[in-house]
Amino acid sequence: MKQFIIIILTCMMATSTAMAQKGLNINQLFDGRFKKATGATEIIVTGSKASEIGLDIYHSLSVTDDVQAELVESYVKKDGVKAVDKEVEYRNGQLYYGFYTLKPEKGCKRYIFFLNQNLARKSPKKVVTLIYMEGKASAEKIKKLIRK
Amino acid sequence: MNTNLHINNQAELEALIERYFEGETTVLEEQTMRAVLADCPWNSEMIDEARVVMGYFAAHSSQHRRHAAKGSRQRIIGIAATIALVLTVGGYALWHQLDQTDNVCIAYVNGHVVQNDDQVMAMIASDMNMIDHAADGMAEQLSSLGEALEIDN
Repeated sequence: MKQFIIIILTCMMATSTAMAQKGLNINQLFDGRFKKATGATEIIVTGSKASEIGLDIYHSLSVTDDVQAELVESYVKKDGVKAVDKEVEYRNGQLYYGFYTLKPEKGCKRYIFFLNQNLARKSPKKVVTLIYMEGKASAEKIKKLIRK
Repeated sequence: MNTNLHINNQAELEALIERYFEGETTVLEEQTMRAVLADCPWNSEMIDEARVVMGYFAAHSSQHRRHAAKGSRQRIIGIAATIALVLTVGGYALWHQLDQTDNVCIAYVNGHVVQNDDQVMAMIASDMNMIDHAADGMAEQLSSLGEALEIDN
């Protein structure tokens, strides 16, 4: 019995290792909790569809709940500290806009975008959006993609 | 099985020790080996190890060692099975994860699943538009700041 428990525990450890997160704080938000949540939108695009927009991974999350919005902002700020390049704007002491270029991992460039539309001057909306993008595209290409 | 109870040289002793560790010696052979180990002048890694083992397990019977050897084999088989299982489960999990991340185009909106590629891509286009507007706002601000600095100069 003891041996069986050890085997199960070892298997569980192996499984969790295989599904290890990428080491970003925002990945804690992509644990599936928003997939069934009202007031939240999560988009996941990978593979051929992602390559259509020049990426390997496109993962976004939009939340309307204040508590969740604060959580998103706090994780983005934490990851932003480690960014190699950033464009940020604060309004009323809160992060309004953030475009972070993270340290590449295994040759893949990684970007985090954050927007709190509640702080927009023109037609504010109670929505906080986080976008994680990964791929070979440069920050300039991502910006061009945005301006298409 | 060696029935010769006289140990004439170091090689014979080491052969007996080897059989002893494999649990194949008789009680008589063990007694002989113990006596030789206590008196003989020979030294080698195996002989020293046997002396240590004899010191610790002098009271144990050869039957106990056979059980120990059997138990050891079972442990090795158990460890090998565990490693195989861990590799299988870990490999499957990794493959499953890679498979999942290979071709995904999905959105979850207010708890509802959207699997239509065009709809999902339209949502991304909308997100990009929103970023563009926000970025324009920033550009306008920077431009205003630049103009203000020029006026000051």
